Amino acid sequence: MSHPSFETQLDAYLDGELAVVDARELEAHLAQCAECERFRDGRLALRAALTARVPVFQAPDALRQRVRAAVRAAARAPTPPRFTVRGVWRPLALAASLAVVALGSWRLALERAAGETLADDVLASHIRSLMPGHLMDVASTDQHTVKPWFNGRLDFSPPVYDLSARGYPLLGGRLDYVDGRAVAALAYGRRHHRINVFLWPSGRGPAAAPATRTQQGYHVLHWTTADYTYWVASDLGLPELGDFAGLLRRADSAAGAPN
Amino acid sequence: MEARESARFEAVVLPHLDAAYTLARYLTRNGPDAEDVVQEACLRALKYFEGFRGEEGQSARAWLLAIVRNTAYTWRRRGRAEALATEFDEAQHSGAIEDEHPDAALARSAAKEALGRALDELPAEFREVIVLRELQDLSYKEISDVAGVPVGTVMSRLSRARARLEQALREEEGP
Repeated sequence: MSHPSFETQLDAYLDGELAVVDARELEAHLAQCAECERFRDGRLALRAALTARVPVFQAPDALRQRVRAAVRAAARAPTPPRFTVRGVWRPLALAASLAVVALGSWRLALERAAGETLADDVLASHIRSLMPGHLMDVASTDQHTVKPWFNGRLDFSPPVYDLSARGYPLLGGRLDYVDGRAVAALAYGRRHHRINVFLWPSGRGPAAAPATRTQQGYHVLHWTTADYTYWVASDLGLPELGDFAGLLRRADSAAGAPN
Repeated sequence: MEARESARFEAVVLPHLDAAYTLARYLTRNGPDAEDVVQEACLRALKYFEGFRGEEGQSARAWLLAIVRNTAYTWRRRGRAEALATEFDEAQHSGAIEDEHPDAALARSAAKEALGRALDELPAEFREVIVLRELQDLSYKEISDVAGVPVGTVMSRLSRARARLEQALREEEGP
């Protein structure tokens, strides 16, 4: 018996592109269908073979230099002056400075500057963690190993979730230093991408929805809950990183319910 | 083009040069053509860069890869890279992989060639979805943006390409 509809769905499932409800249904089917299981194993073997044997190339240095030279030459070419907008930050900065003028206060500008410094901190920490041997102090895929590890190392016990069923396996945790304090850094994986989750108690601030920032090819997401300040950094594509953030937030609000 | 804008371009787009080169390398199937395609694509990207804002859900990488892809296809239509249109050629292929990572070259020479060859023999439309998905980890939505086809088409192309590659893998491991 063949399952053509399941095959496309299985591909989407293995690519982490299936909605939660469909994924559950598919997992239930997988558990009782040997044929689909074989299909899945074949796909996994293919993925392993592609990763091992089909190379990702590095742009030759000569090409890199040629492109850079061409870009700089184009920059020198005279063109009519134009108002340029630096991404989404310029209008925000403009709005911020207008607000400052209106309020006659520097507070907002200072807060915004602090937010950017923090994002830079988080990004630097993320990049440092990707250097060999820097990712984890405690390497474990078990949330019940990672969470207790922070006992006695931090003055809070960070929530650690098992999201492996959704394609984001826990890799481990470490101590990090952000915003002038020791924070928990949790490493999750997505295929060969690394996701760093930085969190610390939010000081009972108001909950805020995620804000996004992209820099040097990395995405940084930030939000606060009633209990924690969250920063998430990764080179993973924004849709998937948003999905991951959504899972964390849902897990958090589920866990936040009275025990 | 202001100096500041070109600096932003260098900061936002150039980190994805390896990804751009990898895609071009698989689409043209040889190094020198891939270099030319990437250079031309970067100049095109620079031209349109002011229209690119890096808004939510629009990654610089996918944006650049879309331009690389279109440049490679234009290149092929112009007939300047026959490699895209002609059948796989062993001599040309083995001469063209000198520019990859030394360890990748090692892995490649150690492994049997069937998988790499099967990938090269796939029609470009199928090859690109494999490269974008398996080597560059783009989401279906990003692949659909890069290739300019609906997500459903991305999915069916991926399934068919994978089925073909799995078959090559089985033949290689065969009796």
